[in-house]
Amino acid sequence: MTDKNTKLDQQAEVVEADSEQVEASKPSRTLWSDAWNRLRKNKLALIGAAWIIFVIVVAVTADLWAPQLLGSPTEIDSATVAANSKLPPSLEHPFGTDATGRDQLVRVIYGARISLAVGVVATLISTAIGLVMGGIAAYYGGIWDTIIMRLADMFLAIPYTLFVIVMLAVIGQGIQNVFIAIGILGWPSIARVFRSAILSVKENDYVDAARAMGASDLRIIARHIFPNSVASIVVYATMNIGGAILTESALSFLGMGVTPPTPSWGIMIQDGQKFLQTEPWLMILPGLAILTTVLAFTLLGDGLRDALDVKMKDA
Amino acid sequence: MAKYILKRVLQFIPVFIGVTIILFAMKAIVPGDPVKIITGGKQVTPETELQIRIANGLIETDEDGRPLYDENGDTIPTPIWKQYLVYMSDLLQGDLGTSYTRNMQVSDILASKYPYTVRLAIVAICLEAVVGIGAGMISAIKKYSFWDVLVTLLTSILVAMPAFWLGMLLQLFFGVFLRNVTGEAFYLPISGAGGSHAEFQAWVYYILPAITLASVSTAYTARIMRSQLLEVMNQDYIRTAKAKGLSRRDVIVHHALKNALIPVVTYIGIDFGAMLAGAILTETVFNWPGVGYEIYRAVTQRDWPIVLGGVTVIVVVVMIINLLVDISYAFLDPRIRFGAPKDKE
Repeated sequence: MTDKNTKLDQQAEVVEADSEQVEASKPSRTLWSDAWNRLRKNKLALIGAAWIIFVIVVAVTADLWAPQLLGSPTEIDSATVAANSKLPPSLEHPFGTDATGRDQLVRVIYGARISLAVGVVATLISTAIGLVMGGIAAYYGGIWDTIIMRLADMFLAIPYTLFVIVMLAVIGQGIQNVFIAIGILGWPSIARVFRSAILSVKENDYVDAARAMGASDLRIIARHIFPNSVASIVVYATMNIGGAILTESALSFLGMGVTPPTPSWGIMIQDGQKFLQTEPWLMILPGLAILTTVLAFTLLGDGLRDALDVKMKDA
Repeated sequence: MAKYILKRVLQFIPVFIGVTIILFAMKAIVPGDPVKIITGGKQVTPETELQIRIANGLIETDEDGRPLYDENGDTIPTPIWKQYLVYMSDLLQGDLGTSYTRNMQVSDILASKYPYTVRLAIVAICLEAVVGIGAGMISAIKKYSFWDVLVTLLTSILVAMPAFWLGMLLQLFFGVFLRNVTGEAFYLPISGAGGSHAEFQAWVYYILPAITLASVSTAYTARIMRSQLLEVMNQDYIRTAKAKGLSRRDVIVHHALKNALIPVVTYIGIDFGAMLAGAILTETVFNWPGVGYEIYRAVTQRDWPIVLGGVTVIVVVVMIINLLVDISYAFLDPRIRFGAPKDKE
């Protein structure tokens, strides 16, 4: 029996190796190169991608040039507070200065670090938990499916913003806890997406064929199911990053997220709210930073969805 | 149909129990002694502290309400599962406990706040239905026209915008800018929900918060409406209707719209449930005395009875609305009622 299995496995490997060779000999016609060709023609998605790359580069390299040009994003120079407080946008301070005389632009730049970090890390956490849960539910089905999907229902039954806030009240403020709270509460939707992706892949003949040839569960998931549902995960994760950035800004706005003096776009909007009537740019500019960044992730996500031909439930 | 409803109601029970367990577990692991929160950190006599612990069910007592002691003469903290069972049995009798920081019943506090949330939700949902469906229809009927591009662009921007920021922009434009430009002749109130000394009629206070609350979901409604109508217009029975010689207007109004609206109405219904959950951000920006802001305030003050009671009530309300939506969906769409195979998830 084992002999036969290894033999079949070997045969399967040969077949797979063959098909890889065939693919390699053709001028790259994989799913991803097809998708890239389609994505390249989508101007909006490219604009989104370009903006994301720009924001990442600015945020990552900020230490090298931003404080030198614009001053410290966190430290308050008590000697010059009065003279520098709430200056309108000018050549020296393109976004103006806040109430304590700190340059707004450098704070927006450092705020991008927080937003991107929360977006990416929280999405990674949600995706990791969601993949495991969704994978178990869909592949093993039966009682596992019922338990995991009911658990997902429970998490989704509690209104999201409320849940995140209560969670942060329990585990405490700070950036790590914002990662954890947004990350943990995001798993049910990813689990659902992955589960339905697997269910639709699982019915394909090639999965039956692999099983008939004696492939193990893990092998079927890794070689056949995951590659065929990865497209929907990529699309979903891209859009999820934008959602996580929005959530972080809302939490920081409410004073439950990142703790000052760390610059976060949400905190900057909250600070600016006090001066809405007199210095509105204090709250407008950080808001524009959120809007453009989230919009960029949405556009890229939409583009990827069309390019990879992933069917999403809502619009 | 009755069977379907019963099945859905029965599905809610485990979810509801699970939700209350999750919330109770969170409350249990939160740092901080309830007595400190109740007394506001003030020093109190041991007798008062004992009374507070008994009144809030934090230590074990006998039938007469006297505290029980262990062999060392210390009071015995009530195990968390027992606190949960007591909480649940009180809950089923309509008792949500007493607030830690305000000397009031949680149910009374929620009852005084909920009407504001409900009224705001009703105004917002009407706005969402009218604007969302209208924009989606225009967008679909005049596909790829200027209007279609405009709607698509606006919905993308609305979805990517923090709603609380949009609220502040509205305050800035309608409350500050218009006031300055028109010399205080025309402007809208930017905070509060009216009251005896309000300078506007009560309904004026709803305008800006309702727009803010409805913004994101109006964008989604428009998108769903557009894609649904476009999909339905490709169906065979629409081609038949066209072939019969009906005008484009008749085809859309009498044939396409009915089917295209089903998912849209479902979305709006579920969104109404979500709005009844209270809008923490909108209510905070506009100083709106609703249930969302109350719970947020309670979270910051660690007033757990309000948090727990408020979220539990909200979850039940949302579940009931979702159930009603599901039932009406089954009613509108016979395929579900008769158990015909639905599209794969």
